[in-house]
Amino acid sequence: MAVSPLVAPPADALHPHPHKSASPLKRQASAVPSSNGTPALVRPPGQDIQAGLSMSLDQVEQMNEQEKRKYIKDKKLGEGTYAIVYLGKSRHDPTQQVAIKKIKKQKEYRDGMAPDAVRELKYLQELHHPNIINLLSAFSSKDQNLNLVLEYLPLGDLEALIHDVNHVRYGAADIKAWMGMLSRAIWFCHANRVLHRDIKPNNLLIAADGEVKLADFGLARSFADPGHRMTANVITRWYRPPELLFGARHYSGAVDIWAVGLVFAELIIRAPFLPAENEVEQIALICKNIGTPTEGNWPGVTKLREYIVPSEVVPVWERSAYMTRFGAVGVDGVDLLVRTLALDPRKRITAHEILEHKWWRTDPKPTRKEDLPRGGGGEEKMGSDLKRRPGMDDESNPRGAKVARKLDFGAGK
Amino acid sequence: MASEDARYRQSSQFRLWSFSPSQLAAAREKTNIQAQSSIAARIASTPNTSAPTSNANTPDPDGTPSLPDFLTPAEEAVMVSFYVSELLRAGDHAEVGEVVKATGAAFFRRFYVTNSIMTYPPHDMIIVALFFACKAEGIFPRIGEFISKFGRDRPEEILAGEYLLCQGIRFAFDVKHPFRALKGAAMELRRLGDIDEQRINNAERRAREILGFSPLITDAYFHYTPSQIMLAALSLADRVLAERLISHTFHYVAPPSDSGPGTPMATGDAPVSRRDVKVEDKEAIIGSHIRDKVLGTVLACRDMLAKELPERREHWGNKVVYKAQIQPIRKKLNKCRDPDRWNLVELQRARREQAGNRSDSEDDEPEENPRSLEKDAAVFGDALPAKRRKVVKTEDPFGPPL
Repeated sequence: MAVSPLVAPPADALHPHPHKSASPLKRQASAVPSSNGTPALVRPPGQDIQAGLSMSLDQVEQMNEQEKRKYIKDKKLGEGTYAIVYLGKSRHDPTQQVAIKKIKKQKEYRDGMAPDAVRELKYLQELHHPNIINLLSAFSSKDQNLNLVLEYLPLGDLEALIHDVNHVRYGAADIKAWMGMLSRAIWFCHANRVLHRDIKPNNLLIAADGEVKLADFGLARSFADPGHRMTANVITRWYRPPELLFGARHYSGAVDIWAVGLVFAELIIRAPFLPAENEVEQIALICKNIGTPTEGNWPGVTKLREYIVPSEVVPVWERSAYMTRFGAVGVDGVDLLVRTLALDPRKRITAHEILEHKWWRTDPKPTRKEDLPRGGGGEEKMGSDLKRRPGMDDESNPRGAKVARKLDFGAGK
Repeated sequence: MASEDARYRQSSQFRLWSFSPSQLAAAREKTNIQAQSSIAARIASTPNTSAPTSNANTPDPDGTPSLPDFLTPAEEAVMVSFYVSELLRAGDHAEVGEVVKATGAAFFRRFYVTNSIMTYPPHDMIIVALFFACKAEGIFPRIGEFISKFGRDRPEEILAGEYLLCQGIRFAFDVKHPFRALKGAAMELRRLGDIDEQRINNAERRAREILGFSPLITDAYFHYTPSQIMLAALSLADRVLAERLISHTFHYVAPPSDSGPGTPMATGDAPVSRRDVKVEDKEAIIGSHIRDKVLGTVLACRDMLAKELPERREHWGNKVVYKAQIQPIRKKLNKCRDPDRWNLVELQRARREQAGNRSDSEDDEPEENPRSLEKDAAVFGDALPAKRRKVVKTEDPFGPPL
């Protein structure tokens, strides 16, 4: 999508027609009442400006107009507090469907373009990969709303598939295919020095051909320089790693890896692995199901500013203990799972190492994407997936209890 | 696995904002010409409105206003540089980090490639660029607090410009800088083991100082990659160290043929062995040919940076220089600026009003008012100019008819 700013505007751009009006209504407004034919020498300044503006679009506005006109907005798919999502199509090739995400002005954020929109646009402009939702274009509409044109992903998300136990059946080969796509997406983010910070099944959307795409970069940020503080209030609670629950302000791609591990676990048991009601309980669930973080298994952990664990110390579970619940993916699959859930982020497997893990090379082979099981999903699903505010769910969402804490926008300076 | 180079070519910095010098000059020339013709048309169409400060368009005896002198592309370039120096000063004053300042400067320069200094007010846009640079770098200040540092108390002025800026920088908010590369270079030099630590520290400090000014006030970001800019700055700080680093990186020397004195070197018609291919690969990636190419590019970048060393901050801030070089252009600018776009708050208000007035705004909710494809096509489509751009007759100098 090379859209050079040097792309020549239409020939007449070089010679703007100053007297063309974009608004037929304009002249009525500027009629100056005068009963005796006396020429009005001065018109009100507001009208004056408007009159001038109607005449021409500047170079940038023309480029924006061209971008906008590449797409036809069709019906509305959904509306949330953060965005309205429309189904659309390419004017050039009407078979190419797109989702147009119009970012709404937010009442609670009065400092210009909202942080989630800034982050999402920043990272989607840079990251182009088969397993990351593709930003095709961005343009502004006349009322100065931001519109993102995204590839259309009609088959819902991984969360819907996982939890539709009555209609969707899948096995180890399918899990391997989905995990492979998620792992490549997160490797690509990290290779480009981007932390996603909101990995969870309903941010993994499914394309018409079965390809899984990581979406929702509203909480993403670049890797910080060493010593730079970041906020700990990221990643939806059930998928949030212990270092963030303990308030760490310096962290790495390992936070995303933990979330990848929990998506993996959820794919296997078809239920959230650690669904806590609040942060204290989240830590307790981690201690109970994975092991209690201590100086022994994680040197330095007790120095984290919010370190607090239940008094009964549970030793870190061995691989064998996972076999009963997660054995469906085999010994190698369980090995990978355990490595993603290492308590000490320094010992957690990296995205690159995940891609080199032996599980991918043992039987069964991952299912071809065309043959992967499909769920309901569809238009409404993409509407509701994209309109959400990152890291938070609408109140109507039954999973609303697990939302990430609101970001502290002033932090990390 | 995509190489780092391949990934850089995917970046918006490369895709949208890298040009050859002649491309960039042509783009600026075009921007200047367009601004001139649009402002001229505007002034010609409204002879009775006194432009904000100008008496240049006072009707002459024939009743047609005379046109002001417009800025030349060269004068615009001087103003862009001057305002970048102002932006950096503002950034120092507000105590934002070096990356935020650099991002702000890059946004500002990008904005004025396709917009003229005569069209949008640079003194507002430096604050807009700095404010949005904070956000792009993940810091989200409160607008009121932020502008109060500059003695301003009208947040709407800056917020009105934010959207304009975003559109002007083509919604590409990621700017890649050379600062981290410099840190890496210093570590690499230390690893070599035979260079005095103090020398490396001095070079790093000086190079960092250069990176905080010289590439930002020149066109370096449009023409060179972050690593090239870093090496050029390092070379200005300590040429021997920079060249050592380059020769160390591109060190590959093709080994002499080891096939014995009796065997001739492989010729064109001999089958290429696997080993030969590998040698060619290495030669192409870290061979002497590439080294010379890199040295040449770094040298060219170095020449560009050398014109604006950090000591030139004094120059741009100097009152005598200001009076002699900047003020005359500013006076000229006051007479030729775009009367419609200079006041960002008014501009935004008028734009919104326009959007609100349009019965066929694309912001209709299709759901509530389902439209046929044909109608959609009319909103976005080719029919647009003919259908909506009603030609308004040349205005009577004394206002519309009764």
